[in-house]
Amino acid sequence: MFRAALRASVSGARSLTRARPQYTASVAARSYSHGKQETDEEFDARWVTYFSKPDIDAWELRKGMNTLIGYDLVPEPKILEAALKACRRLDDLASAIRILEAVKDKSGPHKEIYPYVIQELLPTLSELGIPTPEELGIDKA
Amino acid sequence: MAHQAHAYHMVDPSPWPLTGAVGALLMTSGLAIWFHFHSMTLMTLGLILLLLTMYQWWRDIIREGTFQGHHTPPVQKGLRYGMILFITSEVFFFLGFFWAFYHSSLAPTPELGGCWPPTGITTLDPFEVPLLNTAVLLASGVTVTWAHHSIMEGERKQTIQSLALTIILGLYFTALQAMEYYEAPFTIADGVYGSTFFVATGFHGLHVIIGSTFLAVCFLRQIQYHFTSEHHFGFEAAAWYWHFVDVVWLFLYVSIYWWGS
Repeated sequence: MFRAALRASVSGARSLTRARPQYTASVAARSYSHGKQETDEEFDARWVTYFSKPDIDAWELRKGMNTLIGYDLVPEPKILEAALKACRRLDDLASAIRILEAVKDKSGPHKEIYPYVIQELLPTLSELGIPTPEELGIDKA
Repeated sequence: MAHQAHAYHMVDPSPWPLTGAVGALLMTSGLAIWFHFHSMTLMTLGLILLLLTMYQWWRDIIREGTFQGHHTPPVQKGLRYGMILFITSEVFFFLGFFWAFYHSSLAPTPELGGCWPPTGITTLDPFEVPLLNTAVLLASGVTVTWAHHSIMEGERKQTIQSLALTIILGLYFTALQAMEYYEAPFTIADGVYGSTFFVATGFHGLHVIIGSTFLAVCFLRQIQYHFTSEHHFGFEAAAWYWHFVDVVWLFLYVSIYWWGS
């Protein structure tokens, strides 16, 4: 979970040969004064469940993505995988590619996150036949 | 029998419900004729009939209530229920447009770029004219309350002043909004953003005009001594309607202008 710790991390020349970039810290997305805090794992699981609903409809897919992208984090590949599979069930290739564009946008200045996520998603992308914006040449406006 | 043995109002036969229905029929079918055959005659005829109906029907109600004394307490209670139910129906009317707005904006489609505001739309700054409009309507809510208290306290001059101020503020809102419509960088044809924006704010603007008209009628009636400090339901109905219009604006402002930008 690439959370608030991102801002504090020195990521510059971090290489991608590590299993995964060391951005995680157990900080919750919101700091409430009381109440049970959701762990990163619970957050991820909740969103994977959301997108894995077999009969998810197009509105729910779009709503979920908009809510998710509104958070101050880059979603874990496993959430994105569930979302991409939902796109497949809904025959929505446009949204699938848009999701990849959103990941790049959410990474902000941390330019190594996007290639990492694409790398993690490669099996899913080839299984579902989803091209990346780069492959389509639409990453340059 | 010579006298009624109850406090209710058995209204004399009146042609206005029929002329109103005919007017509505001509307006709606006239609308269809205008769309398909480019002639506005039928619709205009319907509109004239409708306006004449409204004028004469409400004039008759004023005659029955203010001059003939038919609006006893139970009758007035019925009128209150009627106005409340009508405003409730209008609430549901607007609810529909808010539903449409939230359906489209919470889950924006790929055609819009999957985002809200949609790609290519330059929204209005909520802290410019829209904020002024909010202040204007809130202020008009204060002045209409001032007018009500003035009526109840028998203060004729203050009633006239505060009611006039309320109407002026209503007109000011309409003028500002008309200018915003003219200057807006997007139109009703600009996708679902344009549709939801102009249909929701457009119907609201229409209701502001209706409400301002209602208040203006009350203003004229006040000048002509129709209201007493105890009995002035026409004014109360106008004030309720005006507050409803204000509340709808607050929801529009927060949802469409502010959150939706």
